[in-house]
Amino acid sequence: MTNPIDSASQERIDAYLKRLRHALRALPPDEIAEIVREIRGHIVERAEATDSLSEAALTRILAALGNPEDIASLYQSRALVARARASTSPLLILMTTIRWAGMSLVGFVACLFGVLGYVFGLSFLASPILKMLYPDRVGLWVGPNYWNLSLGALSAAERARDHATEVLGWWLVPIGLVAGPLTLILTTLILRWALRFAFPKTSVRPGPTDGSSQ
Amino acid sequence: MVDQIANWEAQIRKGWLEVAILATLWRGRLYGLEIIRELETSSDLAVAEGTIYPVLARLRNDGLVEAEWEEGTSGHPRRYYKLTPAGRKRTLVLARHSNLFLEKMTALIKPLLAEAK
Repeated sequence: MTNPIDSASQERIDAYLKRLRHALRALPPDEIAEIVREIRGHIVERAEATDSLSEAALTRILAALGNPEDIASLYQSRALVARARASTSPLLILMTTIRWAGMSLVGFVACLFGVLGYVFGLSFLASPILKMLYPDRVGLWVGPNYWNLSLGALSAAERARDHATEVLGWWLVPIGLVAGPLTLILTTLILRWALRFAFPKTSVRPGPTDGSSQ
Repeated sequence: MVDQIANWEAQIRKGWLEVAILATLWRGRLYGLEIIRELETSSDLAVAEGTIYPVLARLRNDGLVEAEWEEGTSGHPRRYYKLTPAGRKRTLVLARHSNLFLEKMTALIKPLLAEAK
């Protein structure tokens, strides 16, 4: 005997599913619709199986299911990795790596590498523009007193203090224009390779106890 | 102490969840709630029910299970899952590994428990 769901309960179920839908918003719409449909079916069937669907009973059903935001995050990690594996978008790949950083130490190291790679890449890319705007201040500065190469802007006072001389001149422009995109592309490819390596698309690998001939 | 044990148990359950879900599908197709009920009765894997669905989505994405919607007599559609040939193969491999692992763990733990009695 199934138990009809009253309008107050229906409203609470709808509110739960609305939260779920909202938390899933990064996924494609048809995928969201399927997930919500499936979870709705779960709630309705659980609700109909109770003798009388009291407020407390519905609370128990929803609590057993878990937070909609937690469920959504489990779906999204998977979907994000699947999309990043096939993507060349640095933003998507970096976002996925940041999520990976929260999951493991290896992910954290990969994320650190990625952030550094993109920062270097963007700095290389910005240096030709800055060189044209501030030709006297921007360059590869080498100081005799230290083992420090400073790729960036130094004020006249800093240059005098460090006895720094600029060694690249206008070569900075072509070097920056080549090294910038190259660093960005390499970082993206290495991160994507790391993601593919850490989250392989499942293939059935025979284990030591596999195989009926053994 | 109690918290640590609860945390350890939660991690163990999470680790076994995939094998357990695949194992429930060995004999035939089931929909989400049936899998949960099966896990409740035949194993100690009481996890948040909502975590089953993302795992099923991942298994489907990996080609280990396939899903189909069916308009049931219940008034709402159900999404049935069944193992693909690759899924059956994977389930068998995981079951053999699990069995070996559990046998070794039991052999390690049993003398200790007998002594502590």
